[in-house]
Amino acid sequence: MTASVRLEALNHWFGTFHALQDISLEINAGEYVTLLGPSGCGKTTLLSVLGGFIDPSQGTVFIGHADMTRVPPAKRPTTTMFQDYALFPHMNLRDNVAFGLRMAGVAKAERYRKADEKLDLVGLKADGAKRPHELSGGQRQRVALARALAVEPEVLLLDEPLGALDLKLRRAMQDELKDIQRQVGTTFVHVTHDQEEAMAISDRIVVMNAGRIEDQGPPSRIYREPASLFAADFMGEMNHIPAEVEASVAHTALATLPVATLPQGAATVCIRPEEIRQDGEGLALGQATVREATFFGTFTRAHVTPVSAPEMVLVAHLPPTDLPKPGAVLHLSVLPEDIRVFMKEIA
Amino acid sequence: MRMAAWLYLFLAFGFIYLPVGTLVLFSFQEGTLPVPPFNGPSLGWYADVLSDDDVTDALLHSLLVAIGSSATAVLFGFLAAYGLARHVLPGSALMRVLLIAPLTVSYLIVGLGLLIVLNRTGVGLSLITAGIGHVVINLPLAFAIIYASMGAQHENAERAARDLGASEAKVVLLVTAPMLAPALAAAFFLSVTLSWDEFIIAFLLTRFDITLPVEIWSMLRSGLSPRLNAIGSVVFLISVTAVLMLEFTVLRRRRS
Repeated sequence: MTASVRLEALNHWFGTFHALQDISLEINAGEYVTLLGPSGCGKTTLLSVLGGFIDPSQGTVFIGHADMTRVPPAKRPTTTMFQDYALFPHMNLRDNVAFGLRMAGVAKAERYRKADEKLDLVGLKADGAKRPHELSGGQRQRVALARALAVEPEVLLLDEPLGALDLKLRRAMQDELKDIQRQVGTTFVHVTHDQEEAMAISDRIVVMNAGRIEDQGPPSRIYREPASLFAADFMGEMNHIPAEVEASVAHTALATLPVATLPQGAATVCIRPEEIRQDGEGLALGQATVREATFFGTFTRAHVTPVSAPEMVLVAHLPPTDLPKPGAVLHLSVLPEDIRVFMKEIA
Repeated sequence: MRMAAWLYLFLAFGFIYLPVGTLVLFSFQEGTLPVPPFNGPSLGWYADVLSDDDVTDALLHSLLVAIGSSATAVLFGFLAAYGLARHVLPGSALMRVLLIAPLTVSYLIVGLGLLIVLNRTGVGLSLITAGIGHVVINLPLAFAIIYASMGAQHENAERAARDLGASEAKVVLLVTAPMLAPALAAAFFLSVTLSWDEFIIAFLLTRFDITLPVEIWSMLRSGLSPRLNAIGSVVFLISVTAVLMLEFTVLRRRRS
């Protein structure tokens, strides 16, 4: 079971706080979409609107072409997997997973069969008789997933489902979530503030900030060609170089860089640390002095100060075999396609 | 120093338990006076008490009133707590205060007030009126215990149940109430112990069918006797059972 979702011109206010601002979004059936953003950006509010827990002040929610804006959670083809799992502590796992089917009036034998099937899907087939408090965090998370999937929702909403897990388990569960989503084919809408998690599992990332959608697209596109400075920063570490754009060039303290046609004025040139090169290819950024360099396993992370701009500090990722001493001088360059330029917003 | 601590402990517990211990001890007295020296032991007074229909009737009445009034108090307390904890209601702070306030009113006042109202409305005194009196004194307690244990994690489970298609009634019946079972049991057994040996309200609000404390009081008027000790021991035993049940449910909640 899977359905598309269409949000049209959603606005929501909490008192005077404008939590969702003109949100329009289309999600295809069977897509894995992540709502990514910092705390308070409106991503959880948006998920609650999808799940029916919040009535939006304005706008429409279509799920599978039916208007669901004012339909209560129980009557929606969505289920939510809550951040704290919200398992029923007084029921064993099988009864937890079968709860939705019980509410739908499915006979006992049939709902237990389906519950066992879903427990099997999440690797807890043998634990149906256990109570939630006997499980680890990761296992509870799996039960919550099985319970949400047992009613065969068309859209599954996941509210920071991996937030309470330690890093290693989180990475393992990401792969599992993605894998289960492929098996069941349900549309997944996943809320997170962890951009690595978003990149690992999503077909599409929707970056949110202050109640608006900043950017949306496949992870690689958002990482490499973010639509806004906020999206660029949120997706990973970014070097900011102040610039002045003038007739398709950007003047910076380091070098004058060719840019696509942009309006004139103050701008920020962005370069990711791993795109700063030392092999001389591309556009020269001049010389820089190493302040410190740290070995990170797969790369060496260096803080460098350009000779032509002593007040600036750039972060560069160098090959792991290369650990320069503080004070060493590097020749930096960058490929033209790795440069992003954002005009300064007029405040 | 260590000795002093042990002595203090011994004295403190002696102070608390010596009267009860003496009462229980002399219920086994062979003879007609519950005073030293102790002769016995003998179960004669227990046989005497348990073959007395007035006493066994009163005992049954007390159990009936205790269980009935406690169940009612817990039901109302739960409904009030659910309403006030889960819904935004106008004046909910005031309602909370009004629900708990009767705790501060003396049992005598509650009993007299009810007596006046019942006389005016022409409702005859019975075990039911005594039960109503006990609901009045136990409801604030039941409400306070249940309301305090309605946490946010319960609210999330209720949200999940609704999301999975449960109606409001099913949410309360299948999720909220079972999750609160320890608090409900605690409130129930505490109410039972309070109602079980409550005297003044039962005295004012019963007439022909009376509860055990009222029966004991009427027996007291004919002087001391090991019979009273035997009845007292039975009352004590039942109270202890209720307290142990309470302790068990509360402890179980802490463990899980």
